[in-house]
Amino acid sequence: MLESHFSNPIVPINALPAILNLDKQSLSEKYAPINRLVNLGLTLFVCAIGMALYFQPFVDLPAGLLIFLPFFIWAAAIFGLLLTWIRHAQDHVKSYTLRELDLHYTSGLFFRKVVSQPITRIQHIELKRGPIERKVGLARLQVFSAGGEMHTFEIPGLPLETAQQLRQFILQHKDMVKHG
Amino acid sequence: MDNQTSSSPIDSKDLAALLKTQDDWQVLSPVAILYFAASVFKHLFGNLIYLIPALAVSYKSVLEHPFIWLPSILVAFVLLVLFAFVSFKVYRYRLTDDNIEIRSGIFSKKHLNLPFSRVQNVKIEQPIYYRFTGHASLQLDTAGSAKNEAKLVAIKLDFAQQLKTRIQSQVQNNTIDINQENISADPTGILSSSTNSQTQQEIVLNRRNLSDLVIHGITSNRIWIFLGGLAPFYNKIVDSIGEWLTNLGIDLTELFSLQTHSLLEVGLYALSLTMLAMLVLVSFSVIGSIISFYGYTLSKLDDKYIRRSGLFTKHEVSMGLSRLQMIVQKQDWLDVLLKRINLKFEQSNSFANNLNPSATSSKIIVPSIKANECQALIDDAYPSNALNTLVCNHGFEPISKRFIFRNIVYVLMPLWLIITSGALMNGKLLIAALLCVLFVALCGLVVLRWKRWGIVKDENFIYLRKGLIGIDYYCFPTYKLQQIQFKQNLLMKRRHLATVKFVLASGSLKVPMLNENLAYELIDQGLYQVESCQKSWM
Repeated sequence: MLESHFSNPIVPINALPAILNLDKQSLSEKYAPINRLVNLGLTLFVCAIGMALYFQPFVDLPAGLLIFLPFFIWAAAIFGLLLTWIRHAQDHVKSYTLRELDLHYTSGLFFRKVVSQPITRIQHIELKRGPIERKVGLARLQVFSAGGEMHTFEIPGLPLETAQQLRQFILQHKDMVKHG
Repeated sequence: MDNQTSSSPIDSKDLAALLKTQDDWQVLSPVAILYFAASVFKHLFGNLIYLIPALAVSYKSVLEHPFIWLPSILVAFVLLVLFAFVSFKVYRYRLTDDNIEIRSGIFSKKHLNLPFSRVQNVKIEQPIYYRFTGHASLQLDTAGSAKNEAKLVAIKLDFAQQLKTRIQSQVQNNTIDINQENISADPTGILSSSTNSQTQQEIVLNRRNLSDLVIHGITSNRIWIFLGGLAPFYNKIVDSIGEWLTNLGIDLTELFSLQTHSLLEVGLYALSLTMLAMLVLVSFSVIGSIISFYGYTLSKLDDKYIRRSGLFTKHEVSMGLSRLQMIVQKQDWLDVLLKRINLKFEQSNSFANNLNPSATSSKIIVPSIKANECQALIDDAYPSNALNTLVCNHGFEPISKRFIFRNIVYVLMPLWLIITSGALMNGKLLIAALLCVLFVALCGLVVLRWKRWGIVKDENFIYLRKGLIGIDYYCFPTYKLQQIQFKQNLLMKRRHLATVKFVLASGSLKVPMLNENLAYELIDQGLYQVESCQKSWM
């Protein structure tokens, strides 16, 4: 009974849409600079705490800690700056693609990664906005499938309007309407 | 709502009689007190195994100060009973035509309302203390999280069975309705009557004898996990065993001293002691296997698989064929020797409590079956699969040999060089030699691991092979994919290699070091099949 309405024509492999040549959309221009600022701020914050601890006159610190603290501050500063730099480079290669039936997110500088999420398998969507993101009008789009928490599909750094449009597109998608 | 009741395959009059007080909140049978007590106890002492040494220590102090300890134990016991009794008192449930409501909780009240059509999975559990009164607990899983599952704690077994068939028929009707929206053919009447006639026959697909379970106990080396858990207490355990042996008149230091005995004798003693310890451990594992799988039957009713097993607590897990996400065929090295296979039917992870992998999880495991039985079961679930022919014809696509190179040169070699040179500098030649042997052995394992990796796809399925000494096969319909990931680092890009990760509702599978073109082909075709095929993954 099912068979009579079912057709399964052979599709030549070459004719399939390929993820190799995705038309990549870059994230919001604000995303990378803001991220850099946040990372720099965090690094400075950690260093400042260390320095405050070192120079404060109120409590006598153990001698071991006093020797160790400058090294820690230097290490934190170098590590933080390095991390900021790498993150910044990474932020520039992040991109996403919306096709008619699926979403893709490309990331990674040394370890390239392309995550492909068919829209028909989406369970629900969330738009997330932290305090900084709200300030600059950015949003993160999180897409949940039955693959579990570990495999939440996330596109960070979208302009709020784009994120809302994406969400609307997915929610009104015929595959979502049918299975949701 | 009326419509649904009339189309449900079970005679509605029967049910009306059963659920005569439909709109009233109902109380459980008092046996439930036992259940609540047991569950609190389990909750508190779930990790009892790890507490054993502590208990052994406190046992002494209990003997020494009975006036402090006995009353406090008594108080704890009274509290437990009180808690169980109050839990029983506040528990109410209500059944209507198509949903169930449960009110429970002492301090934080919970009110759960679950429409039958949202139920994913129905489990019936009969703990040993329910067997005398003929009660059972019915667990309803939803697609949400494990937290909002409904559990009818103590109802009559036959009522539970009836409720189960009713809920499942409703779920089925629902899916049929959905199918009809898509197909818009055949009136409901024909379909439901056909399901009605089929509902009655349940075919037993597989049974497990005691001997099979013993084999399963031996081969499933869950005992190593147990040993790992005990690791912090090794010292204490060894001490107490030594003490015990001395009390028995056996002196270990004398037994193993090379002055009084020959090397051969000591070796034999050591060997026999290890064998004895192994025997004890294996017998634990065998007992565990028998407890969870005693009286195992796997049967099929319509398109549902039903697993029943359990020595003390009888479990019944049922799963619709459409819920099946992936078939896993596992063979450990001992299984290879004994020519047995563990077959797993995996379903969605989100509502399975995977903490207990044996009996309670909603995976359907068929323990230690023979190859032909395994093939029969796989063919029964997925008639069009080609796993067997692929295995026989070595039809799997191997992964790149760079896998061996990468793991040996980038991971093992540096470690080996550093540690060995360290040993040599300290003049410990024997250790260095041992390290060399270990290194060669590990390299051998890497090669073996590479040899096991394999992937192949056909029109409807993706098959995966992996393992180390044993071989595991994974087989899933391509349209069940939830998400696909393509990973490649710059070194791999230069060699045109890539890693593909398939995300399914039952978990994810990663295949490393594939040819880049094959990876793209797998992803593109996988996406195409998911998106073009209108079948639901559930």
